Amino acid sequence: MSAPAVAVQGLSKYFPQLELRHLLTFRRPEGVWALRQVAFELNPGEILCILGPNGSGKTTLIKLIATLLIPTEGRIFIHGQDTIRRPMLAKRRLGFITCNEWSFYGPLSGWQNLAFFARLHGLDPRTAIPPVARLLKLAPYLDRRFFSYSTGIKRRFDLARGMLHQPDLLLMDEPTTNLDPIAAGEVRDLIGRLREEGKTVILVTHRLGEAQKLGDRLAVMTAGRLHEIRPSPQESLEDLYRRTVQEEGGALG
Amino acid sequence: MGKVWAFFVRDFLWELSYPLVPLWRWGGIVFRLVTFYFLGVLISPGASSYLAPYGGYYFPFVVLGLALASFQEVALTSVSESISYGMHTGTLEIMLATPTSLSTIVFSSVLYQFSIAALEILLYLAFGAWFFNLSLAQANIPATAAFLLLALLAHLPLGIISAGFLLIFKRGSPITVLFGHFSALLGGVYFPVQVLPGWLQSLSFFIPFTHALEGLRQAVINGKGLLELKTPAAVLCILAAVLMPLSLAFFAWAVRQAKRLGTLSQY
Repeated sequence: MSAPAVAVQGLSKYFPQLELRHLLTFRRPEGVWALRQVAFELNPGEILCILGPNGSGKTTLIKLIATLLIPTEGRIFIHGQDTIRRPMLAKRRLGFITCNEWSFYGPLSGWQNLAFFARLHGLDPRTAIPPVARLLKLAPYLDRRFFSYSTGIKRRFDLARGMLHQPDLLLMDEPTTNLDPIAAGEVRDLIGRLREEGKTVILVTHRLGEAQKLGDRLAVMTAGRLHEIRPSPQESLEDLYRRTVQEEGGALG
Repeated sequence: MGKVWAFFVRDFLWELSYPLVPLWRWGGIVFRLVTFYFLGVLISPGASSYLAPYGGYYFPFVVLGLALASFQEVALTSVSESISYGMHTGTLEIMLATPTSLSTIVFSSVLYQFSIAALEILLYLAFGAWFFNLSLAQANIPATAAFLLLALLAHLPLGIISAGFLLIFKRGSPITVLFGHFSALLGGVYFPVQVLPGWLQSLSFFIPFTHALEGLRQAVINGKGLLELKTPAAVLCILAAVLMPLSLAFFAWAVRQAKRLGTLSQY
């Protein structure tokens, strides 16, 4: 039997608020638990949509899986590869989509930006860029400077960058935020197509309808804990979400 | 090599987007040369016995000091600047999410800036030779190149350590800034180290810049080879051999701490 696309086991994250005075006085810094004992498994081709109030730990979870944070406790496996022990192997199989339009080089063109990140994945830009540019309809924009794009086009470049190396697992942090309804719909259609291609997606979103439409599985993050939820005919997603947040607590502060 | 090339192309294209920036920088070199040329006229040849080991002229002496000081500044600040930009914009996280090693990111991020800094040293010498009768006839090219490389290897670790501080405390190490000032004062950019009181001369021995500049001046002005300059070369080699692995280990530790503290994208 093949390994799950993602296996998260007993994952906790504590952020110490370290300052220079702590080093000088040997005092233990105070901090905050951003995640507490999160555990789940996702099979290839599944989409997990994570909802939750701001500051509840959703982005922390995404960054832990993307190897950008080190867990305080617990382990993460991507297709069987431990992200702490073998991070390079794990990174080859994951695409991190930040939805941060500043994380590009503004004076460079879209092509030049994608070429830089393609080379960091060890790819030849001439073969890596055209397929994602076709998929995301980016061809007309490739030669323009990045800072001249609209938010929607920048978001498409963000998606393209995360997909250059054809990863099995995509981590998306609010990919439709700040997009107009048509652009947001296009992103949702793309995510739907990714599922058809057998890609696994972890999608953080604040849009309940989007989560319900795309998610094979739904979860709510509250105060660093992940609660898997299943809407029923008796209780809508909105009611279930509200109840979960009220019962389990909201943000960490 | 493809990844190293990626950084070089990125930085070249970035520079190409702002074509006036290098022009202003090179214009600055000319203005500095003009200023120190006339200061050199003021200090007539042979006026100071301190300049005798450097051919007796002030202008070639100070030109090499200025050129290496700007090279040192790049070594001390370029890694921090690159990491700082990456933290501000989020590009550092994206790079770290790719299968690219830390050392590749660190060294490749500064490759273009060092190429430009080396080119600017050539510009100092070329402008000096064309417009101000700076004589390069005796220059020992292999020794000059060797001292530039050693200067880079001895100073870059300090820049890497500063970038490590930046990752954890969101501010670069103030030691680097102080180090730049001390180097200018004690390393002999504007005047020979021998002018300083004895205790300051002793202090200047512990600054890598002193040895790099002494080697560079002797190679360019007096045409000395590496064998004749083995003392400054050996000091720089030892500093580089000790500091480079230490600085890389510190930087790797700083990245791990940043991943623990969540400060990779905080500023």
